[in-house]
Amino acid sequence: MAKINQDQAHFYLLKINSLLGLVPIGVFLAFHLGINSLRTVGPLQYQWSIDLINNMPFLFGIEVVFIYLPLLLHSLMGFYIYFSGKRNVVHYGYPRNWLYTLQRITGVLIFGFLIYHLGTTVVPKLFYGKHQFLAAPFLMDVMNAEFQTWTGRIIYLIGISAATFHFANGLWGFCVSWGIIIGRNAQRNASVVFAMVGLVLTVLGFATVLEFSLDPVPVTPTVGG
Amino acid sequence: MSQETIKLKIKRQDNPRSKSYWQEFEIPYQPLSNVISCLQDIQKSPVAANDLGVDPVIWDCSCLEEVCGSCTMLINGRVRQACTALVDQIEKPIVLEPMSKFPVIRDLMVDRNRMFRALKKVKAWVDIDGSQDLGEGPIMSDHIRATRYTLSECMTCGCCLEACPQYTKDNSFLGAAAFSQVRLFNLHPTGAMNADERLEEVMGKGGIADCGNAQACVEACPKNIPLTDSIADISRQTSLKLLKDLLLK
Ligand code: HEM
Ligand code: SF4
Ligand code: SF4
Ligand code: FES
Repeated sequence: MAKINQDQAHFYLLKINSLLGLVPIGVFLAFHLGINSLRTVGPLQYQWSIDLINNMPFLFGIEVVFIYLPLLLHSLMGFYIYFSGKRNVVHYGYPRNWLYTLQRITGVLIFGFLIYHLGTTVVPKLFYGKHQFLAAPFLMDVMNAEFQTWTGRIIYLIGISAATFHFANGLWGFCVSWGIIIGRNAQRNASVVFAMVGLVLTVLGFATVLEFSLDPVPVTPTVGG
Repeated sequence: MSQETIKLKIKRQDNPRSKSYWQEFEIPYQPLSNVISCLQDIQKSPVAANDLGVDPVIWDCSCLEEVCGSCTMLINGRVRQACTALVDQIEKPIVLEPMSKFPVIRDLMVDRNRMFRALKKVKAWVDIDGSQDLGEGPIMSDHIRATRYTLSECMTCGCCLEACPQYTKDNSFLGAAAFSQVRLFNLHPTGAMNADERLEEVMGKGGIADCGNAQACVEACPKNIPLTDSIADISRQTSLKLLKDLLLK
């Protein structure tokens, strides 16, 4: 492969960043909210889904390579993009310009939320060594406690809305910036479709918060314990 | 005798390096006047509300019919052409400022050279005969001709860049107008022979990937050029080139 210059590196990094938002990060978000909403079916169903994940081989490696590193790169690039422009909706308040601005604001919100979210879940899980079947009861206790206060609920409602908006609007941006949708009609129709995707994901997330808030049941480990 | 007057508030700057300051002017109202004619009236007797006998306000204009783009400025906070800003249709007092994305030369006159440099960078022309006659070019379909006609109406005025949140004084973003010109010349059957060269120029720092799809450009363009179609189209052309370069080269 030919050596790439700084100009090309800039372009490739932005392209890779755009791709990362969709796979793996966006796909992860959709699965994450979908799997969590199993809690609305029942605590056992939810527990089994956590059991499944926490008994996966190479779990930590998979998480680092497919979630944490892409997220870190996407966030760093996100901040770079954030500071490369100068928001101006005050003067040019067109709908798309609002969405552009919100895409950046929600990015920053998600970054803050993820630090909190990982800090209350994955970090203590690893710290206390709650692996395999021990993970589910531990994590569900954390979530039960989290959703007993309005502070916890509001943090999650904001974090979820920011993420689903950012993902849905990001899907649209992805399709435009890769040249998948070009014409004005195609762009408008796609924004309706992606708004629906965002709405569905938001509903899944909110339903999970509601279920945890109304019915905080503890569980015992499926095996051992 | 009380006469109807028009008040103007103008942001002034004496030279490219000096600080800007505001001055207010009051001129007699004339029916059917536009912002350029107001500036001409001020020039006749440059008297600011707080200062007698100031230097006349400097501005740029040429065609007076919205085809040259040289009179572009911020009128009541929004970028547009002064020659087609009719006094009867805009809010008063009229607030005039130079465009904020280009270096000010003096008062309302700015240096839009960055736009022309961008056109050179993306090779916004069709190469024609060199040392020998290359004969007739290929035929163009009427559909392409019509699309190109719309794109060719760009007057390099800078409205799209002034409104664009990604276009700032301290970055190297090429901006919507240049991307649209890449589309214009890549659509030309002879221009298409250099399509890859133009695409390469927008696949770097300040290129097409730096666009954040805020779509303020298309809203601000006085010529109704479908800039966002052009941006998405050039995005497609560069994506395909990226894949081709990675897989087939
Ligand atoms: C749950 C986490 C996240 C997901 C699912 C996600 C997803 C996406 C997607 C799909 C795009 C579209 C890429 C494109 O426009 O081509 C995008 C763009 C963007 N993301 Fe994220 N992102 C996440 C977190 C973040 C974070 C933490 C930041 C940090 C500030 C951020 C900042 C941005 C910015 C600024 C863009 C706009 C890029 C552009 O329009 O050119 N994102 N994101
Ligand atoms: S779509 Fe937005 S970021 Fe891109 S050129 Fe237009 S205004 Fe600028
Ligand atoms: S694309 Fe429109 S707004 Fe931009 S420079 Fe050309 S005419 Fe002006
Ligand atoms: S003077 Fe040419 S556009 Fe106004």
